[in-house]
Amino acid sequence: MIRKEYQQTFRDRRMLFLLLVAPVVQLVVLGNSVNLEVDRVPTLIADEDRSPESLELAAALTAGDAFTHLGTLESGREVARRVGRGEAALGLVIPRGYGRATRQGRPVALQAIVDGGDSNRATVAQNALAAFVMERSTEAAMQRAQAASAQRGQAFSMPRISVEPRILYNPTLDSQIYFVPGVAATLLLIITLITTAMGLAREKETGTLEQVMVTPIRPEILILGKTLPYYLFGMVDLGLVIVAGAWIFQVPIRGSVPLLFLAGSLYMLTTLGVGLLVSALARTQQQAFFGAIFFIMPAILLSGFITPIENMPHWLQPLSGLSPVRHFVEILRAVLLKDASFGELAAPFVALAGMGLAVFAAAAHLLRRKLV
Amino acid sequence: MKGLSLKVQAGELYGLVGPDGAGKTTAIRMLTGLVNPSAGEALVLGQSAQKGSRLREAIGYMPQQYSLYGDLSVHENLRFFGRLFGLSRREFGEREDRLLHITRLARFRDRRAEALSGGMYKKLALACALLHRPRVLVMDEPTNGVDPVSRRELWDLLYEFVSQGMAVLLATPYMDEASRCHKVGLLSEGRLLTEGSPSVLVASMGHRALFMEGPDRTALEQAIENRFGRESQGGARTLLAITPLGAGLRVLLAGDAVTSVVSWAEASPLVSTIRELGLDFEDVFLGLVAAPDASPDASSGVDSGSTPGAASSEDP
Repeated sequence: MIRKEYQQTFRDRRMLFLLLVAPVVQLVVLGNSVNLEVDRVPTLIADEDRSPESLELAAALTAGDAFTHLGTLESGREVARRVGRGEAALGLVIPRGYGRATRQGRPVALQAIVDGGDSNRATVAQNALAAFVMERSTEAAMQRAQAASAQRGQAFSMPRISVEPRILYNPTLDSQIYFVPGVAATLLLIITLITTAMGLAREKETGTLEQVMVTPIRPEILILGKTLPYYLFGMVDLGLVIVAGAWIFQVPIRGSVPLLFLAGSLYMLTTLGVGLLVSALARTQQQAFFGAIFFIMPAILLSGFITPIENMPHWLQPLSGLSPVRHFVEILRAVLLKDASFGELAAPFVALAGMGLAVFAAAAHLLRRKLV
Repeated sequence: MKGLSLKVQAGELYGLVGPDGAGKTTAIRMLTGLVNPSAGEALVLGQSAQKGSRLREAIGYMPQQYSLYGDLSVHENLRFFGRLFGLSRREFGEREDRLLHITRLARFRDRRAEALSGGMYKKLALACALLHRPRVLVMDEPTNGVDPVSRRELWDLLYEFVSQGMAVLLATPYMDEASRCHKVGLLSEGRLLTEGSPSVLVASMGHRALFMEGPDRTALEQAIENRFGRESQGGARTLLAITPLGAGLRVLLAGDAVTSVVSWAEASPLVSTIRELGLDFEDVFLGLVAAPDASPDASSGVDSGSTPGAASSEDP
């Protein structure tokens, strides 16, 4: 049975490519495309004041790496129009009277225009601008206070509290290091689940299952034959992705590799189990494929790999515990970056094992009833 | 299926005949344990054919549709099913050689199954079904989509296995194929209408067939329909079927109606030639469908003697 699965897989060159080469390619593409760091926000400025102060503000804003200056326009309306068309992520309007207000020490408001249609980009742009303006106004306040003290002949002192972060494990906050484990878990999920789900469905569709079912084959053997080959493919993929992650994205491998593969095995118990479950229910490959997607999408979205779990609505957060991706990503990150021990990761390990056993047992039971 | 019970002796070829939708495939799937009857039991060799039964080791099954792995070679398909039947490497090697030899597939051992012709594919399916030396072979429309030459070859193979004592049950919609069986059962709407040896069935029907030819075939057919279509004698219809034959018509009649039909035809300007034809097995079926009450042996389910390969399915 197992030999037959391998023969069929190796005979199908395209399938082999999808199973072994595609994961690495996807890791590279996805790993490079996910980037949550704030830099090079494309910015348009409308300077309606045209004072030395406004020119100085615009220059300071675009001096660093955070913003890329696309141009300076006459009116705020024109900037709004262009941001609306997606030509820039951020529009900054410096109102008439800005220079006078700053000279006189009066409060003044700048207008920021962002396109809320792309809320991610909008948030990134807004945060970057807010940080910049905060820094500027603190600076201005200090200068005024300093000048006032000097007039009165006093020594200037002002309390100023700042945060000096010491970031553990990923000091440069490289988002690729954060994302690679997530991508690895997602790829493993998709590959092992879809191949198992389609495997039996294909045999149903082509009629070969019927010929198999009239032999005295035991259901356990059939199930093993339909999962073990893809389990081994999954393990190879996991190894490939970890090596590629370390090599291309400098994701460190600080912890125990056997522990990673143990986690991978438990994780695949769930993914293969769901695959079997789908294939027991589906009649055609098409049904199996959509059944698989139906599980894959929520499992990824709820895992916290794309949006932090803390940002989900409260009622949704407990559901995230049902996503095997979440637990596996947690283990991958902890072992790769922190050299976490099995003891520290007991909770996700238990969750993965429990889920895997339950799903696999349910799938085996259903298959036994439906087929043999 | 309603109270279907049929007996296939060792060394006998039994043909289950019926139109599409008669329940041939369902009957066969029950006997191979692919579906369970909604009520009642399917028994083969005195054992239940329920799902997962050990009986499977004694049954070979050749389904109607494609059922082998197209992307595997002839040898790989055989080896796969050999493994599923738990054959040892040595046993498998011997049987593969023998089966490839008698099916004359040895030359194509490494060809992919999907690249085989229809006839070769069926022979491979037969070889796969025979690997474990079953006592009972069940086939669903075995020569569907097979050219006449390969068909003959397949039948020769079947006769050879049957002569060695295998019991073969096959389902077919083709009458010519059914007439090659030792025994046939006519199945319609899940019930066995009649069974017996094809020649005995033909003789016992009492039908007669006439060939009529005239200047206008369509008008002739219409005239026969109008004259005899509604006539009946003792509850049995006179006219059973009209089928085109060459330039004329083949008219199937109840036996005692022939005299009146012949005298009508001799008087009719539409008929220029008339002669009697021999009956064939297809006539039995056409006659039965036209007048089911007139079957020679309407009681189905003959059971007697030792049953080396008996199959029955009951649904009360």
